[in-house]
Order: sequence, then C-alpha cells, then structure tokens
Amino acid sequence: MRRLFIALSVLALAAGCKTAPEPVPEAPKPPETPAPPPEDPNAFRQQPPKPGEPPELVLPRFEQAKLDNGLTVLVSTRKELPLVYTGVAFASGGSQDPKGKWGLADVTYKMLLEGAAGKDTTALDQAFQDLGVSPAVSVNPDGAFIGARVLKRHADAALALLSDVVRKPNLAQKDFDRRKKLQLAELVRAMGSPGFLAQQAYLDAVFGAEHPYGHPVSGLPATVDTLTLQDVKSFYGKSVGPKAAALVMTGDVTLDEAVGLAKKYFGDWKGNALPPPVPPTPAATPRQQVVFVPKPGLDQTMIVVGRPGIAVGHSDEYALDLATTVFGGFFGSRLNMNLREDKGYSYGAGASADARLGVGPLTASSAVRKDVTGLALNEFFGEMKGIQERPITEKELAAAREGLIRAIPGEFESVEGLGSSAASLFFLRRPMDEYARTVTGLEKATPAEVQRVAEAYLGPAAMQVVLVGDPAVIQEQVGPMNLGKLVAKEPVAPPAKK
Amino acid sequence: MKKALITAAVLALGLPAFAQQQQQEAKPLVPGREALAIPYEKYTLPNGMEVLLAQDKKLPVVAVNVWYHVGAYHEQPGRTGFAHLFEHMMFQGSKHVPDDVHIAMLEQLGANDLNGTTNFDRTNYFETVPTNHLATALWLESDRMGFLLDALDEKKLRTQQEVVKNERRQGVETRPYGLALEKLWKALFPAPHPYHGKVIGSMEDLDAANVEDVKGFFRKWYAPSNATLAVVGDFDPKEARALIEKYFGTLPGGPKPEKPTVAPVKHTAEKVIRHDETVGTLPQVMMAWLTPPYFSEEDATADVLANALGTGKSSRLYKRLVLEKGLAQSVIAAQQSLGAQSVFFIEAVARPGVSSDALAKEIDAVLEEVRRGGITQQELDRARTRFETQMLAGLQSVGGFGGKADVLQSYNHYTGDPGYLDEDLGRYDSVTTERVRDFARDFLQSDARVVLHAVPTQKGPISAAKETH
Repeated sequence: MRRLFIALSVLALAAGCKTAPEPVPEAPKPPETPAPPPEDPNAFRQQPPKPGEPPELVLPRFEQAKLDNGLTVLVSTRKELPLVYTGVAFASGGSQDPKGKWGLADVTYKMLLEGAAGKDTTALDQAFQDLGVSPAVSVNPDGAFIGARVLKRHADAALALLSDVVRKPNLAQKDFDRRKKLQLAELVRAMGSPGFLAQQAYLDAVFGAEHPYGHPVSGLPATVDTLTLQDVKSFYGKSVGPKAAALVMTGDVTLDEAVGLAKKYFGDWKGNALPPPVPPTPAATPRQQVVFVPKPGLDQTMIVVGRPGIAVGHSDEYALDLATTVFGGFFGSRLNMNLREDKGYSYGAGASADARLGVGPLTASSAVRKDVTGLALNEFFGEMKGIQERPITEKELAAAREGLIRAIPGEFESVEGLGSSAASLFFLRRPMDEYARTVTGLEKATPAEVQRVAEAYLGPAAMQVVLVGDPAVIQEQVGPMNLGKLVAKEPVAPPAKK
Repeated sequence: MKKALITAAVLALGLPAFAQQQQQEAKPLVPGREALAIPYEKYTLPNGMEVLLAQDKKLPVVAVNVWYHVGAYHEQPGRTGFAHLFEHMMFQGSKHVPDDVHIAMLEQLGANDLNGTTNFDRTNYFETVPTNHLATALWLESDRMGFLLDALDEKKLRTQQEVVKNERRQGVETRPYGLALEKLWKALFPAPHPYHGKVIGSMEDLDAANVEDVKGFFRKWYAPSNATLAVVGDFDPKEARALIEKYFGTLPGGPKPEKPTVAPVKHTAEKVIRHDETVGTLPQVMMAWLTPPYFSEEDATADVLANALGTGKSSRLYKRLVLEKGLAQSVIAAQQSLGAQSVFFIEAVARPGVSSDALAKEIDAVLEEVRRGGITQQELDRARTRFETQMLAGLQSVGGFGGKADVLQSYNHYTGDPGYLDEDLGRYDSVTTERVRDFARDFLQSDARVVLHAVPTQKGPISAAKETH
C-alpha cells in the first residue's frame, strides 16, 4: 500500500521530454595550429553528482491499542510541532450501500456533521470553529473518516465534539431533508464534470451494477432520491459502533495519552456493529464493447481503460505496483512519456492499481484533445501490447523500485497525512508494520515476477474502455478501431418531479 | 496603511563584489507562538542570486525550491500564458542534462513534492529529495538556470505548446464554469493589464509563441539576479553552502531586471456579465472586487471577512443561502492576494430551479449587514485561531505547495524579508471588528464590482432537474 504520486493540478506541471535535442550549434573552428583546448570551467557539470550514502529509511510508525468495548485506537506520534490530528475511522463505506440505495453511506456520514448532542448544524459548526477548524468527512468504498487537525491545546475539546458527532448525532428530519436535496443537487452538478461521468460509467463497466464496488460512493440521482431518514438511522445502527471503528490520533500525542482520551470519550460506548465482509472478487472478462458517454461539443475526450486488479495483501501486490509504475505510475512512465511528451495529445496520462479491501480497479486514463481521440486510444493499446513486445527492462524496474521505496519517508511529513494513512490501515485491515512489509515486498519482487504480473494484468483483451466526449468524434474515430461495439450511455437523469 | 507593501520593484542591484551575508536567528515570536519560528539565514551570491537556508531535521529529506521573480504579470501583450509555457520548457533538458532526464531522475531517486508552478507574480520550481541527493537537485536546478538555451529547439517548444493547450482545455474549456471565470478576470483587469485573463493564457497567444520569445524571456527574467534559492530540511549548512557556490556561484551574473509598472485599475460602475454556460449544469453567480495587495493590512482584514462569510456551515453566506433559504448548493468567499491588486471574490452555485439572480440578491443582503454592522468578536477570534492553525500546519512540510520553503520564499518575494512571519501574524492581530466593517463598506461597494452570472444552456436529461425544486 502506498500513496500515489499525482502530478496533475491546475497550472502545476511536471514535465520532461522524450525528443532528441537538435545538435547544439558549433563554435567556429579553431585555428589550424593545434593549441591546447581551453579548459571548460563547466566540465564538472557533465556528470550528475555522485550521491552520498543513503540516509536511514525512516518509515512511519503506527501503534495500536484496543479498548474493552472493542474500539481500536491508532496512533502515530510526531512531536516537532504542537499539532494533533484527531479523527474516527469507520469500517463500512460506500460498498455497503444496500441495493437501490446507493449513496446511503455517504449521506449517513455527512449527516453526523449536521448536528449532534442537541446542537444544531450551526451550533455544532461554531463549536468546531472555536477550535479553528471545520471537520471534514470523507467516504470511500471501504470506509469513512471524520477528523480535524487542531492545535495541541484544542485536542481534548476536539475529541469531545467528535465523540458527540459519532455517538449522539441528531439525525433530525429537517436536516436530512436538506442534506438529501444537497446531495441530489450535487449530483446534478457532477453531471457537468467529464471526470465524474467517466467514473460512473467505468465502475459499472468493470464491476457491474450488482457488485459492491460497481457504483460511485455519492450514489446516483435515482438512488439518492429513494433514501429516507429511516434508511440513514438503520445504516448508522448497523455500521457505526466501537467494534467497527477506530479512534485515530497523530502528531503531538502518545499512545498512552490517546488511550486515556479514548477511554474518557468512548470508553462507555456500546454497540454491536461489526466490520462488513470483504467484497467478492469480480471476474475479469474479455471486452465486448466500448462504452461512451456523449457530451456534444466537448473539446477533449476523457479516456478511461481498466479492469479488476487486486486486493491488498495479494501475493502479486508489490510486483503489480512496480509494473504499473513503469507502465503509467511515474511522470517518466511509458504511457505519459508517449501521450504527453512525445505526441502532445494530453496534459498527462497515468495508471494505477487501486488495491482495496476487495479486488479494486486497475486503471489507466487521460483527457486528450478531441481530434486525436482515436490516435490516443491506439497508443493506450500500443503501450499495453508493448508490455509483452518490449518487456520491462532492468533499468526501468530499478528506477521504479528505488523511486517507490526511497520516496516513502518524505510522504509522511504532516499529521493529517499520517492520520489518513492510519485510517487506511484500519479500513484495509492491515498490520501496523505495513510500510516495512511494503519495502520488503518492493525489494524482493523479481524481474520475472514483475514481467509475469505486468503481462497478466496489463494485457489489452480484458481491458474495459470508457470514453466521455463528443459523440460524433467518438463514432468517427473509435468506431473503425475494432475494439468492440460502441455503446452510448446517456448521463443518468435526475428523478422527475414528483 | 502603515506597513506599505514592499514589492520587488527595486532597480537592478548590479554585481556586488562579494557575497553579502546576513546571518540571522529566528526572530522571537510572542509567547505561545514559539512553534511558528523558522530559523533561517539569507545571503546573496556575487551574481545576485539570493539564498535562503533553513534546517529542519524531522525527516532525512531536503527541499530545494527556486523562485524566479517573474510571472504572468511580466508578460508582453500578445503573449499571454507565456510565463507558464516557459515554465514547461524548463523541464525539457539543458546543456548538461539530457532531454528526458530531469523528472525521471528525481522520481527514481525517491523525490516527493516535485513540480513547477506559475502564478501572476512569480514562478517556482521545487523538489524534496532524500538528504544524500541534495547535490543532484542543485545540479539540475543550476543547469537550467545557466544553460537552458543550449538545449532549446523548435520541436520541444511545439510539443509543450500542445501540452499546455491540453492543460487549458482540461482546466478551462471542459471544466464547469472555466470560461466564465476567465471572463470575470478579463472584466476585472481590462487589457492591457497583465492580470487580464488567466495565467494559462489564450489559445492564440500560446500558438503564437516562438523560440525567440523563449530566448528573450530567459535572458531577461531567468538571470540569477532574479532568482532566489531556498534549501530547507535535513542538511549540513557548510556543505550546502559549498555546493551552492559550486553549482550556482559560478553562473554569470547580470543586472536584476526592472519590474514593469502598471497603473492600478479602479472600477466606478458595476459591470454585470451574463455567460452562457455549456459545461456546468447549475446556475452560478460570481462577484469580484479589486482590493489592496498582498501583505497590506486590508489584505488581512479581507481574509478575516472572507472566513466569516464563507468558511464553515455557520458562516454568514452558508447559513443564509444554504441552510436557511435553501437557494444555494455551495458558497465560497475568498481574498485572492496578489502583488499588484488583490481580488475579493464571492461565488455561489444555485440549487436546481433557482436563478443566479436570486442568489445575487441574497448575497447583497448579507453584504449589506456587514457593511453596516461588521462581524462579531467571536467571528474574529475564530478566524484568528483558524489562521494560526493553518500557518503552523504549513510548516509541517519542508517543500511542496505552501511548505516551509514556500513560506520563506513568499515573504522574501513580497516583502524582501523572509522572516516576515511575525509581522504577518501581527496584521491579523490588529484586525478589529470595526475594521472589517470599514473594509466591507469601503472596498466591497456595489458600484465597484464585476458580477458574472453563468447560466447553463444545456438541454437534454439535465434540464429535467430544473423542475424538481
């Protein structure tokens, strides 16, 4: 498990270039009589400096304890600054949405911040604002996390409020009605975003609607429309309790202090909610069709290509991590160097294997200029075939291995980063020495293993293809490519007026 | 305004005969804020390049961060977006660094927070590397500072023009309200003001850029005398100084380029724009005012007001528009602090079936309240606690976006003093509820703003939503 390097933000760039330089104009020829060549004062720049001995590979340290009521306490101590991140992680996420009720987990966790222990939405927010923070809630397929980063002197007060939020949410009808309207309107807004449209169609194409991972966590308009306050109460009752939650504290706090605070605010918490079962393994089936979401007039086409990958803890995990890094994980990866730096088709292209509690998606994607939609898609397939035709070289593998391992210490500078990593360890049910295992796994994966895994998971036949863009462009350019039947998938309409 | 903003509008310094050294200790901060101190030292190389060093031994990593004091503000008419396009060219190899090596080399040695960014006022380049690779990062940064043009060619430029145009398509044309926001900025800063439009520039200007432009821009703005290098993290100062001398001290100097002067813009009548939104699906209203520049006192007052108006569910705009009236889906209030003139910005996105005019009316009612009554002491206290927490949190990372290196660089760029943190916090200490009221009354007048209504034109499945409310 590692956090991916994501280089695409607005006006932020990371670049490089694959093209060979034009020859540098030569200086005028020296006179005939041989004179000793003048010493180039910059000759020392010809070679990159030799690095010194690598520093100790400092890995993040997580500690764990359990209260008598089953509550997990996760801590990572970092004393340099008087900051504490404090949060509660829940073991049930969007994958636990009941059939036809997609979005229930998302709405339920958001409802926790709409008032608690008798404080209404505004009063609760004001209480947090007094501590200089607005707590954030994030819901993903395998869990949810509510937390806040505060000055150390506010940690106790923040935890008291979080305890109210988690244990005594108001779950009032009026707040639910508003929250539901906001969720529905948010989905209308999301329909404007090519990325959201792509994600929705992609999850369906890879997992199928029946699978727990086959829908966006936010739900869809028609499913959110069916939600009731009773659904929220029932999801809360079934999913939220000490045996299915972890108190996460990182920063200027020790395990003993955290356990003391946990007992104070959560020690008498009762409940029988248990972590849900691991989602079943979906089949990686040969591609039959190419799905596209029509957005007439869109200047770019969003290309998403992928299939089921692996679950955390799978024996292929580290080899696949290395393979996808070479293929599309780094900026200097094959896919990005081709689509961006060689062809100029895109602002960036990348790939990643999202190892979840169950088998997660393995995805490659890029937004490309619309007039090169077909050409760009062809390059995606060329690079996938290329894994077999041009096997991963020793140099590529060494770069990925060294890069992934050596980057780990620098990825854990902030208490909020440590907090979300701790929450992930809990969602994904990983041991506290996960990062040491990651390093060992990355070190031990052999070239043969990486190549085998690359061919097994990156072969083109089982790759589903989803496009969002101008329908005429897609028909014209992708139609003749023989990738499968082109099937249009209209954006899902919000429910009609009742 | 008692603390005038000191910009980089200083004339060329020329070439000092030897390095100026100012050994500095961190300034003592008021009790309770000791943790915010950043011990650093600043000196200048004979070629004019400034150096900032700050040790932080928390992790075995070191951030290398170079600010060039040039941004979209310094572009020529007809070349919008050039500062940013140029930034892309800085990753394309230089005399001693092969073309596709810069990023790949950093990635494979385990670098984090590796990027370059351009805004209106400055351009920066940064990477955080394991401590044993400090020299590699300095080698890479110095080679493109000294020898970029040796490796420049037409083909590289053409490719990056395409890449940047794709970046624009992704961030403007295909992003909900992307074109609307650009229109707003154009109206706020009429041409030829250099803040006209967005940093990314227009498609036409991006296409028009040529190799000569790259050369000219490099020679003028990328001289060592227009750059500041920050090294922050776990390093040995003596060794770092020697490496900096080796890689940067030997680059030829040049005069510090003069910053263009631009007349401030003043709006005396409200400007209302109606935009046909083809990507976004809900009506949106944006309002913007020109306000005093970064690090002025009013700039801090504006931050406090923006926080009270739009941050959190109990903020005034969220409470009124989202919770009570059910008109808006989301609200934003922010002071965008800039070197020449800042922008105070309010945005609200409507619920389906609500018009942007209804939002504007409600925003006006909230604004009228603060123009008359200001904000409460509680709201002021909350904002201060939030800013102090954010400030401290910003010091957790040695590099990257807004990390410790950026904090030192930002103070240095805008005020000339990397240790300005104490004064910066002082600006927030001196805000009063009355000042917030006065700011709203004096700067957020209705006849001094640009209002943009982005109204979706989209038909089809989405339009059905408009009837659900």
